[in-house]
Amino acid sequence: MAATIDDDRLSETFAALANSTRRAILARLAEGGATVNELAEPFEMKLPAISKHIKVLERAGLVVRGQRAQYRPCALDPAPLEEVSTWAERYRPIWEARFDRMDDYLKQLRPPTKGRQAG
Amino acid sequence: MTEKSSADAVVIERIVDAPSSLVWQMWTDPEHFKAWYGPEGATIPVAKMDVRVGGTRLVCMEVQTPNGPMRMWFTGEYREVIENERLIYTESMSDENGDVSAPSDMGMPAGHPMTTEVRVELNDIGGRTKMVLTHVGIPHDSPGAAGWEMALDKLAAYLATRRNR
Repeated sequence: MAATIDDDRLSETFAALANSTRRAILARLAEGGATVNELAEPFEMKLPAISKHIKVLERAGLVVRGQRAQYRPCALDPAPLEEVSTWAERYRPIWEARFDRMDDYLKQLRPPTKGRQAG
Repeated sequence: MTEKSSADAVVIERIVDAPSSLVWQMWTDPEHFKAWYGPEGATIPVAKMDVRVGGTRLVCMEVQTPNGPMRMWFTGEYREVIENERLIYTESMSDENGDVSAPSDMGMPAGHPMTTEVRVELNDIGGRTKMVLTHVGIPHDSPGAAGWEMALDKLAAYLATRRNR
């Protein structure tokens, strides 16, 4: 597990993900590579607009373009997503500890009962 | 226990030995909230909660450092409030007036996003409560749109297959 996470890169990943069209593009690419034309198909959007979204994803390192001159197919690079996952997982122990305290506090507040209590 | 995974969120499921109405108060009554939310060795001196959709919250966490007590402020807005069932609010670091500040300026860990979203779902199971907490790194830009969940579920599945390789 990487000890450090690149701050700017993670911000860029979050920014890139904060858009429903771009998330849909990524979801499509999770199923396999595609050309810009193929990616544009499900959207009621002009090709340049889709290209712009893909550029944002490319800058964030989430999409890589092939070198075949004409088509330059897009593919998903999940590395930045894994960093986001790592970010999220940092919060697990924090929440677990909080909930342990909630349990303790509830025990102080009221003895555990089997039945329902009006609250 | 079902573990729902998502590419961008931490999801924790717990059974709490209290009815959902009381667990709801743990989240929405400032006095109860202060009692458990603060981390070990820290206190919550301030918790202001206007628990209704669009209402704001302001929470102060005080931790002891070698240089004396340090206060951190968090603000946010309630997005969904269904009593005893579902609570959704956003969270950003702020000053004591609730003005949002950049996480990096506040000495937060690298890559902490500007705004996160906390979702609490409660399910009463005969006097006890199933509590599902979801802490999302990115606030939803299209509330109610299933596209968000679906896209990230797909990505999470994709990540999982890569890890298992």
